[in-house]
Amino acid sequence: MTRNTQKWYDKPISKLILVTIAITWMFPIFGFMLSSFRPGESIKRESWWDAIYTGKIWTELTLDNYSEIFFADNLDRSFYNSFAVTIPSTIIPITIAAFAAYAFAFMEFRGKEVLFLFVVGSMIIPLQMSLIPLVQLFKSGIEVFGIPIIPELDLNGTFVATWFAHTGFGLPLATFLLRDFMMGLPKSVIESAKIDGASNMTTFFKLVLPLSVAGIAAFGTFQFLWVYNDFLVANVFLGVYNPENLVVTSHVSQLAVGAYGEAWHLRTSGAIISMIVPLIVFFSLQRFFIRGLIGGAVKG
Amino acid sequence: MREQTQQEKLMSIGISMLALGIFPLIWFLSQAILFRELTDAISRNLLVVVALIIGSSFIFLLFLGMDKIIKLAPKDNRDALEARMFVGPSLFMIALFLFYPALRTFYISFKDRYSNDFVGLDNYKWAFTDPEMIVTIRNQIVWLFFVVTFVLLIGLVVGWLSDRLNKGEAFFKSIVFLPMAISAVGASAIFKFIYEYRPPPLTQIGIINGIRVSVDRGSTLPGIKPGEKCMNNRIIDGQLKDFKNDDCLNPIGWLQQRDLSNLPFAENLNPDNFFSSILVNLPVNTMLLMLIMIWMFTGFAAVVFSAGIKSIPQEIMEAGQIDGASEMRVFRSIVIPYIKSTIIVVGTYMVVTVLKAFDIIYVSTRGDLETNLLAVKMLDEFSKYRNFGRSATVAVLIFVCVLPIIIGTAIREKENTQS
Repeated sequence: MTRNTQKWYDKPISKLILVTIAITWMFPIFGFMLSSFRPGESIKRESWWDAIYTGKIWTELTLDNYSEIFFADNLDRSFYNSFAVTIPSTIIPITIAAFAAYAFAFMEFRGKEVLFLFVVGSMIIPLQMSLIPLVQLFKSGIEVFGIPIIPELDLNGTFVATWFAHTGFGLPLATFLLRDFMMGLPKSVIESAKIDGASNMTTFFKLVLPLSVAGIAAFGTFQFLWVYNDFLVANVFLGVYNPENLVVTSHVSQLAVGAYGEAWHLRTSGAIISMIVPLIVFFSLQRFFIRGLIGGAVKG
Repeated sequence: MREQTQQEKLMSIGISMLALGIFPLIWFLSQAILFRELTDAISRNLLVVVALIIGSSFIFLLFLGMDKIIKLAPKDNRDALEARMFVGPSLFMIALFLFYPALRTFYISFKDRYSNDFVGLDNYKWAFTDPEMIVTIRNQIVWLFFVVTFVLLIGLVVGWLSDRLNKGEAFFKSIVFLPMAISAVGASAIFKFIYEYRPPPLTQIGIINGIRVSVDRGSTLPGIKPGEKCMNNRIIDGQLKDFKNDDCLNPIGWLQQRDLSNLPFAENLNPDNFFSSILVNLPVNTMLLMLIMIWMFTGFAAVVFSAGIKSIPQEIMEAGQIDGASEMRVFRSIVIPYIKSTIIVVGTYMVVTVLKAFDIIYVSTRGDLETNLLAVKMLDEFSKYRNFGRSATVAVLIFVCVLPIIIGTAIREKENTQS
C-alpha cells in the first residue's frame, strides 16, 4: 500500500544506476549470443559491433551454427547424457531424503537426535574432501582387513558413478531441508491419520508427500540445476576424453578450452544451447529455486 | 516367554542391520553391477533410456522391499524398526559416499603419492612452501576478499534500489539473477569471448581488445580525433583500415597477464614508489577471472537482500523518513542493521562458493599463469600429477577453511532459534 506513497524513494539517479547495472549485466551475453547466429568466417573477419555499425549483420544471421553443433558435433548426445545423469541424480536423493525426513519429523526412535546431527554435520564436508576416495571406491571397492565389503566395481565412466556421487553430496541438504519443511506441517493431521490406523507407509505416501510438494520442488530445482550445471563431478567420474561420455557442461568446456581452435561459431552456439534448459527451469520454478538456494546457503 | 523375547531381540537386531546396511548395500551393488554390464552390452541411445528409467525408479524398489520385510517383524516393536528402515538408506549413503571418503582423505593426506607409506607432515610442508602452492593460496585469498566484497556491495545496491522502484523491480532482479542459472562453464565461455586476444593483424573480436586497437596512441593530444587512423580491420570505401601502424595500440592477451608490467602505462610508474609497485604487481588475469564469478553471483545476493529489505516493517522506514534522514542515512542506520544476519548468510555462502570455485579457472586458463585456485590445484594433483597425498592435502585445506565458517553459522542459527 505505502509503496506508492514512497515518492522520495523513486529518484531518477537510482533508476539510472539500476539501468546501468542491468545493461552491464546483459552486455556479455548480448555480443556472445549475437555471434552464435553469425557464420564462423564472419565472426573472425569482422567484430560483432562493427557488423552492427555497418549493418552487415542483418544479412548474415543464420541458424547453421546451431545445426552444426547439434548434429555434426554431437551435442545432442551430450544432452541425452546430461539428462541421464541429472534426472536420477535428482530423484534418488529426494526419495531417500523424503523417507528419512519423515522419520526424523514424525517418528520416535532411539538415537534420533544423534543421527540427525550426523546428517546435518555432514553438510560441512566440501565435495572436494570426498572426491579421491570415492573414485577409488568406485574403481576397486572397499576392503576391511582383507575382506572385501564392496567388490571391485570399475564404475568410473558410467552414469551410476555420477548418480551415487551426487546422491552422497546432495543427501545431507535434502534430508535437512525436507525435515525442516515437514516439521512445519500440521502435526494434528498426521497424528489423526495414525490414530485412524494408517501405517507409516500410507501416511507418508498419501498425506505427507503431497503436502510436501513445495519443499520437494525447492530442493529438486536446486539439485537439478546444480547437477546439470556441474562440471567437476562429471569431469572426475565420466571424464572428458571419451566423447561418448560428455555431458553438456563438459562438452561446452571442451569447446571453450581450445580443442576446437578458433571455432567461435561453435563455442557460442554450444554455450547458448546449454543455457536453454537451466533458463527454462529457472524461470518456471524461480520461486522454488531461490528457496532451495537460501536453504543451501550453508551447504559445505 | 523369555525365549520369545530373545528371539524378538535377535529379530529386531537383524532387521535393523538389514535396514541400515545390508539392504542399501545390496541395492547399491545390484544397481551398480547391472548398469556396468549394460554399459558395454547395449547401444548408447538405449542406455540413456534405460538409465533414465532404472535410475529413477530403482530406488523405490529399495523401500518397497524393506516394507515387505518389516511386515514379518513382531507387531509391538514394528514402529521402531520401521523408523530405522526409513532413515537407514539416508544414513548409509551419507556414511558411504560422503563421510567415509572424507575421513579417508584425511588419512591419505599423510601418505605418499601412491598412498603406500606414511610421510608424516611432508605434504603439508609442501602445501605451504611450494612456490606454486603459495601463489594458489595468495589467489584464493584475493578471490575471497574481492569476490565476496563486490558481490555483497553490488547485491546490496541492486536489492535496495530495485525495492524502491514502483514498477520493474522483478525485471531488474531477474536480469541480474539470470547468470546464476547458467553454468560456470558457460559463463567462462562468455567472458573468454570478451577477453579474446588474436595476434595482429587479425581482427580483434573480443570487445576489450577491439576498443583498444581502435584507439590511437596520441588520441589524448588535441587535434587528433580518436579512431581516425586506427581501425579494427574495417573496410571503408574498398580500403582496409587496420591497426598495424606505430600510432595504434596493440591488442593484449588479457588472461596471460600475470601483472601489469606488460601494459604500456606501467612504463610511467616509478618502481621505487610503494603504491606503484603494488599496482604493477596487480594480477590482471586473476582480476578478470574474478569478474566472472561476481557477474554470476551478484543476482543471488540481490534477490536475498531484497527479500530481507521487504521484511523491514514499514513503520521503521517511515519513522526515518519523517525524521528527515537522508537516503544514505536510512540505508546505513536502518537497512544495514536490519538485514545484518542476511548479509552474513550470503557472505558465508559466497565464502564457501569461492573456496570451491573450480569451473571458471579450469575452463579459462587451466590454472596456468598464476591463476590457480585450491579446488583446481586439488584436481590437478589428482589427475594430472597423480599425487594422491598432495591432492588430499589440498582438499583438507579447503575443508579447514570452510569449517569455522560453517560452525559459526550453526552457532548463530542456534542462538537465533533460542532467542
